[in-house]
Amino acid sequence: MNVSLQWLGDHVDFSEYSISRLDELLTFAGIEVEGVKSLPDHLVVAQILSSGKHPDAEKLSVCQVDDGSGTPRQIVCGAKNYQVGDKVPLALPGCVLDAGDGKTFEIKEGKLRGVDSLGMMCSAKEIGLAADADGLLILPPDLKAGTPLSEIHPAVFELEITPNRPDCLSHLGVARELAALAKKPLKGRAHYGETQTPLRPAKAEEVRLESATCPCYTARILRGVKVGESPAWLRQRLESIGLRPINNVVDVTNYALMETGQPLHAFDLAKLDGGIVVRNARAGETFLALDGKEYALETDDLVIAEANKAVAIGGVMGGEDSGVTETTTDVLLEAAYFAPSAIRRTARRLGLHSDSSYRFERGVDPLQVAGVSEFATKLILDLAGGEADPELLVAGSPGEGPPPVALDNDYCRAVIGADLSDATIEGILVSLGLEKADGAWKIPSYRLDLQRPIDLVEEVARVHGLDGVPSATTAWFSPASKADESYDFLRSLQDRLASLGFFETRNLKLISDAQLADDFATNHRGMNPVRLKNPLNDEQDHLRPGLVPGLLASASRNVRFGNGDLRLFEAGRVFVATPKGEEIEHEHLALLMTGARVRRNWTDPKPKALDLHDLRAVLEAICPEGLNFVPVADAKLLCACSVEIGLGKKAVKLGLAGIVPPARARDLDLDAPVLVAELNLKKLQSATTGDIAHADLPKFPGSSRDVAMLVPGDLPAGEVAAFFEGYEEPLLISAELFDVFTDPTGAKLAPDKKSLAYSLLYRAPERTLGASEVEAAHAKLLDSLKRALNVEFR
Amino acid sequence: MLAQLDTIQTEALAAIAGITDEAALEEVRIAFLGKKGSLTAAAAGMRDVPAEQKKDVGQKLNEVREAITSALEATAAGLIAKKDAAAFANLDPTLPARPLPKGGLHPLSLVLDEAVKVLRRMGFALAEGPEIETEWHCFDALNTPADHPARNESDTFYFENGKLLRTHTSSVQIRTMEKETTPVRIIAPGSAFRRDEIDATHLSAFHQLEGLYVDRRVTLADLKGTLEYFFREIFGSKTEVRFRPHFFPFTEPSFEVDLKLQAAGRAAKWIEIAGCGMVDPAVFAEVGRKRGDAAYDPEKVTGFAFGMGLDRLAMILYGIPDLRLLIENDVRFLTQFR
Repeated sequence: MNVSLQWLGDHVDFSEYSISRLDELLTFAGIEVEGVKSLPDHLVVAQILSSGKHPDAEKLSVCQVDDGSGTPRQIVCGAKNYQVGDKVPLALPGCVLDAGDGKTFEIKEGKLRGVDSLGMMCSAKEIGLAADADGLLILPPDLKAGTPLSEIHPAVFELEITPNRPDCLSHLGVARELAALAKKPLKGRAHYGETQTPLRPAKAEEVRLESATCPCYTARILRGVKVGESPAWLRQRLESIGLRPINNVVDVTNYALMETGQPLHAFDLAKLDGGIVVRNARAGETFLALDGKEYALETDDLVIAEANKAVAIGGVMGGEDSGVTETTTDVLLEAAYFAPSAIRRTARRLGLHSDSSYRFERGVDPLQVAGVSEFATKLILDLAGGEADPELLVAGSPGEGPPPVALDNDYCRAVIGADLSDATIEGILVSLGLEKADGAWKIPSYRLDLQRPIDLVEEVARVHGLDGVPSATTAWFSPASKADESYDFLRSLQDRLASLGFFETRNLKLISDAQLADDFATNHRGMNPVRLKNPLNDEQDHLRPGLVPGLLASASRNVRFGNGDLRLFEAGRVFVATPKGEEIEHEHLALLMTGARVRRNWTDPKPKALDLHDLRAVLEAICPEGLNFVPVADAKLLCACSVEIGLGKKAVKLGLAGIVPPARARDLDLDAPVLVAELNLKKLQSATTGDIAHADLPKFPGSSRDVAMLVPGDLPAGEVAAFFEGYEEPLLISAELFDVFTDPTGAKLAPDKKSLAYSLLYRAPERTLGASEVEAAHAKLLDSLKRALNVEFR
Repeated sequence: MLAQLDTIQTEALAAIAGITDEAALEEVRIAFLGKKGSLTAAAAGMRDVPAEQKKDVGQKLNEVREAITSALEATAAGLIAKKDAAAFANLDPTLPARPLPKGGLHPLSLVLDEAVKVLRRMGFALAEGPEIETEWHCFDALNTPADHPARNESDTFYFENGKLLRTHTSSVQIRTMEKETTPVRIIAPGSAFRRDEIDATHLSAFHQLEGLYVDRRVTLADLKGTLEYFFREIFGSKTEVRFRPHFFPFTEPSFEVDLKLQAAGRAAKWIEIAGCGMVDPAVFAEVGRKRGDAAYDPEKVTGFAFGMGLDRLAMILYGIPDLRLLIENDVRFLTQFR
């Protein structure tokens, strides 16, 4: 809402307040100042007395201007759009103008191409009155030279009023609030509650209320008004806060709205057929509003109707053909109270937001309806002549006003945590217009937000401010929660992965339908992705069921930015739905590696591309001992492996690792093999955070034997490893594969064979093994191995 | 015999002086000290030496062996030292290091961790809740009117079953109070979602840090002290903090917190950083109704809550100009936070 400082001055004298002090006062009232439009000092009206050519610059002219001082002032000027005698804004030396981008510049006396120039004549843009302007701003001729421009264009605050404070949606409301905070008296009344005009219950044929949405409707008939242009003061007031003047009657309704917060509507009485009916819209009813658009109404929309048709959408907007125009002579002035939620619903559904609906949907002061009607009537008669019917027609009742609220001052002190005296607490409430009566506080009718003791505490805290409240800190201990444990586990993982050369990424949790195809985490569990009902666009219509789609998108983006060697990870939440539609959220960890194993460098000018074994090395580095990679079939991954801890039935499946199908990778501009893994973080955490127990170190040396064997080329090494794993020989401690050899040419080895070489360690816990014992055990093992896997030893 | 030994020593020392490599060293050792070496042969002649000379000759023999051996050892040591020096002679320490891949954490993780460290020191424990929420947890229980604009489908993501993506982490306040009894002192970092087009200052999914402290006699003074301490730990002990009255449906009184911060080359100005307030008694009443007990009797407990945007905190702390940088994961960007 725009609030004019000059207008506020009608109610409170803020003449000694600077703009920035008022800004602070508003801010600490809880009213956000989004901007202040004000003209700088040293900017005055000047009249151009003469204009001559600049001796050295064709595009410049040298002017003498009257700045009100009595002595002509010389200004060099580049604009061409003026005539001698015009009045223009003149920035005198010392004037600080906005240069855009938060910078300012100060006008100084100087020379332009060798000619003295003692100031600057300005365009509307240069003084911030327009976003764009060509040439000097030509001011109205009746202004007096030397007049500060800030008097013609007073400062205007752009305020953001929080939804709990509809009482501040008017100049009077803001003034009331500021007066309380600045401890200043209001010049006039605080409220338009009182009326001189006699109220008369409307007859049913005059005004009929048929909807609970409108508890109170008043109508005042004005006859013989002369519709025309409003006087300059009124036009200027409306223009200063961004409203367009229309005619004196409509302008008064707008003025009264901005003054009091009570919306009004003026109908051309001649265009109303019969009395007013306030009713809900009929099914299928349409309405042509004064914005020229036709609206389809529903039965919970409120309309103001005459005998045949609706003439306004109640509280929202009047009709195209019932408004006050130049030909209007008799006016019906509506002032009413509409229930907030119904107006909100209608305005929102129709996308039709007006200054009226904005206030009704937040809540206007019902007890002000008659008073504001009277205020506007008087002003219309002043400006447009005519006569008003002596009585105000009233249908329904505005009610009693808000009930009183009791406040225990101790409760107030307990919530705030400051030792405020009773006098301080009560003084604040009194300054806000509350009155203490019978042990409770009588609430002003405009303060719809004050309903409970805590609401009064808020007022005290707000006005008192937190500067006057001590800063208390009480140290305390909390037991670690599950979330703490997860957080700490993740932090250690993040650090380990960073040390392994991985960058942590954070991808959007909303992904496209197409990206779902990149996910391999869901399809193993019979789960479905979770789709939004109202996505913003096709790119973000699903919650991610896994992390790999996002990682792939990030990898693809990096490749396009020239970074093809990538180690990325993400830890975060993923979402799936059970076949029954119940959503489940999991925490996952995903890794992606692609490109060269190291950056090309002088020690390794042709580094090898990362392969699946690099990914597995990383997984082994971040997972506890006993990690197994079990090949599985997967439609979305090449060489897919189930990443498991432990063996057989006890194995815990942490997730999947594999290679993104090269065709898909190439679609994403990823030419090198892309290795990915996605693990369930909670499972990894519980597998990792088992008890750690010390085992005695071996006291006696072991003895190792190497064995090289020829096996079929397609025999997975895992089968040999599994043989060693399951081989029952207490002396065998470990079997480590140290060489894999193949020869596709067949020269050294048959092309369908491969050679695997293992180093086997034998050791006894309680003695040094003799050579013969080792030999015997080794020979037995080789024999079993040969029979089990049909290998040949080399 | 003594003269013969002198000759052997002279010959041997001359031969040793001419040695330039380890092979030659071994040859010389064998020539003099080997099984068939000249000194070994001479020593074998001891048995022919008359008894009265045995002592002198034996002594001489030992002297000569000692001299040859130590000369050989000294030469060997010299050869090894030379070889060691040669091994590193061509090493150029000014060459670039052999690279290891470098990694790092996302700036949001760093900011979060800073915040979590401070708040844990102050006795807050972490808490979490689902991101797919019920309308009750996200709005109703937080005293948000049924026709509040935040509930609109134009502002909030919904699912066909009526659930929604939480619009703030404040729903974790409710989740926590549902299952824990007082005292409750938690922080809940997490994602929140709003139906905003993504641009430099908006993300459809963003990150918040929520805080809640509920107990008997929790006051606005505690809230003030807690947040002042927190922000001064993050932004420096001299940071000015102000509490500006504001409105949130679920706190009363409510404040926005501004910090006076200075970006490089600019005048210090107040920057909005968090929202906070005393938990509205209506929130306790609704939680109590759901729990069916008096653990959160609004007459007996009070509490404060606060929430802040982690993305915004990261922008301010690191001078990040555009929120989209936080979701693009450009390695050139991520490298800056190591």
